[in-house]
Amino acid sequence: MDWEKYESTALDSFADAGTREELTTAHTAALGRKSELKTALREVRDRRTGMTLNAIRVRLEEAFTAREGELERADLDERLSDDAFDVTVPGDEIPVGQLHPTTQVRRLIEDTFLGLGYEIRYDREVETVEYNFDKLAFEPTHPSRSPRATFFLDDDTVLRTETSPSQIHSMEGKPPPIYMVSIGRCYRRDAIDATHYPIFHQFEGLAVDRGLTLADLKGTLLHVMRALFGEDRRVRFRTHFFPFTEPSMEPDVSCGVCGGEGCRTCRYSGWLEMGGSGMVDSRVFQNVGLDPEQWSGFAFGVGIERVTQLRHGMAEIRPLWSPDLRALRQF
Amino acid sequence: MRVPVSWLRDYVAVDMPLPELADRLSISVAEVEGVLHRGVPNEDGNLGLFRVGRVVEAGKHPSADRLQLCQVDVGEGDVRQIVCGAWNFGAGAAVAVALPGAVLPDGRKLESTKLRGELSNGMILAEDEIELGVDHAGIMLLPDEWEPGTPLADKLALTEDILLVESTGNRPDLLSVYGIAREVAALYGLELAPPPGNDPTRSGGDKSLDLRVDDFDGCPRYVGRLFCDVAIGPSPAWLRTRLSDAGMRPITNVVDVTNYVMLALGNPLHAFDYATLAESRIVVRRAKKGEELRTLDGELRKLDPDDLLIADAKRSIALAGIMGGEETEITEATTDVLLEAANFDAYTIFRTSERLRLRTEGSNRWEKGVDPYLAPVAATMATELIVELAGARWVGHGDVQEQLPERTAIRYRPERADELIGIETSSEEQHALLRRLEFDVKDAEVIAPTWRARDVTREVDVVEEIARFRMDQVPFTYPLRREMFGRLTRNQRFQRRVEEFLSGVGFSEVYTASLVERDFDREALRLLEPISGELAVLRTTLLPSLVEAARRNAELGNERIDLFEIARVYLPSGGPLPTERIHVAGIAQGGFSRAKGVVEALAEALEFEAPFRAEPHALFHPSRSAATTGGAVGELHPSLLEGEWCGFELFVDELAAAAHEPVQFREIGAYPAVHQDIAVVVDAGVRAAELLAAARKAAGPDLREARFLSDYRDPPIPAGKKSIAFSLTFQSAERTLTDEDAAELRNRIVSALEQAFEARLRT
Ligand SMILES: [Zn+2]
Repeated sequence: MDWEKYESTALDSFADAGTREELTTAHTAALGRKSELKTALREVRDRRTGMTLNAIRVRLEEAFTAREGELERADLDERLSDDAFDVTVPGDEIPVGQLHPTTQVRRLIEDTFLGLGYEIRYDREVETVEYNFDKLAFEPTHPSRSPRATFFLDDDTVLRTETSPSQIHSMEGKPPPIYMVSIGRCYRRDAIDATHYPIFHQFEGLAVDRGLTLADLKGTLLHVMRALFGEDRRVRFRTHFFPFTEPSMEPDVSCGVCGGEGCRTCRYSGWLEMGGSGMVDSRVFQNVGLDPEQWSGFAFGVGIERVTQLRHGMAEIRPLWSPDLRALRQF
Repeated sequence: MRVPVSWLRDYVAVDMPLPELADRLSISVAEVEGVLHRGVPNEDGNLGLFRVGRVVEAGKHPSADRLQLCQVDVGEGDVRQIVCGAWNFGAGAAVAVALPGAVLPDGRKLESTKLRGELSNGMILAEDEIELGVDHAGIMLLPDEWEPGTPLADKLALTEDILLVESTGNRPDLLSVYGIAREVAALYGLELAPPPGNDPTRSGGDKSLDLRVDDFDGCPRYVGRLFCDVAIGPSPAWLRTRLSDAGMRPITNVVDVTNYVMLALGNPLHAFDYATLAESRIVVRRAKKGEELRTLDGELRKLDPDDLLIADAKRSIALAGIMGGEETEITEATTDVLLEAANFDAYTIFRTSERLRLRTEGSNRWEKGVDPYLAPVAATMATELIVELAGARWVGHGDVQEQLPERTAIRYRPERADELIGIETSSEEQHALLRRLEFDVKDAEVIAPTWRARDVTREVDVVEEIARFRMDQVPFTYPLRREMFGRLTRNQRFQRRVEEFLSGVGFSEVYTASLVERDFDREALRLLEPISGELAVLRTTLLPSLVEAARRNAELGNERIDLFEIARVYLPSGGPLPTERIHVAGIAQGGFSRAKGVVEALAEALEFEAPFRAEPHALFHPSRSAATTGGAVGELHPSLLEGEWCGFELFVDELAAAAHEPVQFREIGAYPAVHQDIAVVVDAGVRAAELLAAARKAAGPDLREARFLSDYRDPPIPAGKKSIAFSLTFQSAERTLTDEDAAELRNRIVSALEQAFEARLRT
């Protein structure tokens, strides 16, 4: 008897069986009580042949069971099938909320600076004139000191006009090196219009260490601007004036709408103004008791709403301060 | 500041393309916000088509009463016939003519045409047609001596490019055309013309002037010049055009000269009608208490003893540096003029301008600190122009000054620039650059020019001069770090998880104003000068803002209005600064249990305990309101919003402090658990939490979990009673509990509840 052939014929018969009945018939033929295999197993007398035949029996039984499962599954699928079922009907409504775009941008900024090894600070918004202006070396005639520009609570107390007081808090808080970014709300007495709101968010970076240079400031801001706007952006610096930095510069990032060719968004200059920056003024170092000959530093401040508007193509600031879910749910 | 480029060219040879000039100025000097073009297009020889014309003959158009038919000599030999609608001229007049083919500022191109049958071979121009002014009353009449055929552009600023320069507060020297020319010369290595103006000879005597300065702190210097036989009248066209290109309105020749010199040099001037001065005296002093002055704008100003005044022998006549007085103003009738070229103290002017909310071109310059050495230069330039343009005689001069500040030397190490900028600049190059900016440089010292003396006082200020000229060449590098410490604090990480949790369960984050119209806390901090009543008080709670946000969304017809905000509140502290805290608040559609469910889930997700006890809250329903960890939860009071709403407000740091972090793992236990439900009937006033607590206490550690299931109050439960059902899970850490063990635990619970609450087991 060619048992190899027997086995392959049996396997083929299982595979060929298209219904349960056919499979039962094939099973009876190959593995039934009267089948040649069973008969041979009953009559076998030597151990080796017995083991071989038994192994064939086991394999065939397994193949039968597997095929039986397949046919059962096919039967079930047949009963379940429903051509009228509509997969395009929407699924269960799962409530989906979202973080405000300002929060999303805040986190992007935080993550970028964490990657650069900076600490994140959230400082107080109601500030003393001393921390908001004096220690930052604002001249007595600086226009920001005017109650027309700044919200006063009394002669000595203001709503911070930028996140810069954090520079003083951080330098007073611990000795250098300092690498920190402060994020939060600031206030200016701007009338409300399409691009102004008296409350806005800023991020303020400060690095104080030995041997920091203006080139380091340029490199750091290039990195941050590319993180915020894309790797293809260019950054340039324009000389400017701020009381607490010297030299002072305004960073511009190349316009993403026109790629620097000039368009309405960038007022046809190819550049977008991003805020202020500069090397920490020696007066500020002296105000916190640091020796400007030993330490140098750079600082920068950028408006978060502006970043958000540019990233998301929002012409106006209003949607960022509106509770309208039609706006918020886009994010 | 608006800088007409032709004016700039008076002082420096600007021949580079303007966009390039604008870029370089922006990077190294002051931002150029744009370049405007005014006047006729300056391309394809267009300017050559505008000429001086002489009207040879003028008469009525044969077939149109309103038109003149003119024969005009434009230097071509033959005359041209031009039809014109204006009648303010006749034969002999010098006029401005545009020839056929000329393009006007509005883009219109002239053609020869026939008007009512007569050929019109050009156009006689009115001021506004070529943007030299706004006058359209008649055609523009030119000085008779101008030769016919002369290109008009040789005589008038037919075309002008205007740089819009936005300089910074530390650079009052850039609020002048000459100051900008100085920077252009330094940037490009060009020659700068000497300051404009030369004193003419004094004619008709040397009158001494009675100039008295009582307050040298407020007025370090006062130069006065007297002019007689002044003919007040309109300024010539070139001057009016320059002023209007620079953004100022022409008035009369003398006043225009004061403004022109201010724009040219940066030193504001003032002119008084000398005849109106009591005892012909000028006194510079502080105001007396209660003193008043009617300024040029007609306002009666109440003065303060800090205000600096110009007075005569009897009364105040001008608010120094800010605005003149009405009574001594130059009028058509003025013949004697006293010119004031003074220097005023920045802070004094700033304070008065600030207090009176009165900002002028003058105050804007003074408050930034004008070079005290500039006054005589400005006086000279103005003198020359007044004599020339108003036919005046200069008859008197006075100069009162205190010791003007010495120019101080600054120790300067060129290597310090390299250290701070991060790029090498040789000391020769640095010195050359500083010299171009008119710094004196010798050895290890530099001295800033007087117009930069306020701004450049320290070595680092000199470094900035180098940095701004090399800005584009500075490379992009990173700091070399020796210490690393960048990470979020525990509270920052916790706040992020709160944000994620709430947005994850369907809440939309909103940002609302920290300033509100009113707050529940009467002590809440109030702004001295809010911009509006709605943004006046620093809020002590976020929820009212969220109620408004929800209301707004409901009005807009938005659905599923579940909102949250994380922001600061400002709690009065009794001290000078409020206590600021970061709160998280939410508002949602639904009743008390919705809000409580959100807070319970938050507590479970962020691993803090949140027990609840009834506590009233101003915004919540009187009994559906509870205090919990870090704040309050409740159903919104039905008077606040239509429909059923609920909310919560919690202090984030308190939640973070209560959170178990990191979570400590508890073994699950190998022995099987037994589940049982029970229901007890108790008085309606008994709290579910008390029942659960009593059950836990009675059963001990083998009660692994006791969970509230329902609160049932309908029949057959008698009125005033309720049936509370809960599910119990018993599990021992030591052995498998039998049914008898479970029954025993359950009985202990039931009898404890019977004793404590007169509970009756419901069967
Ligand atoms: Zn663009």
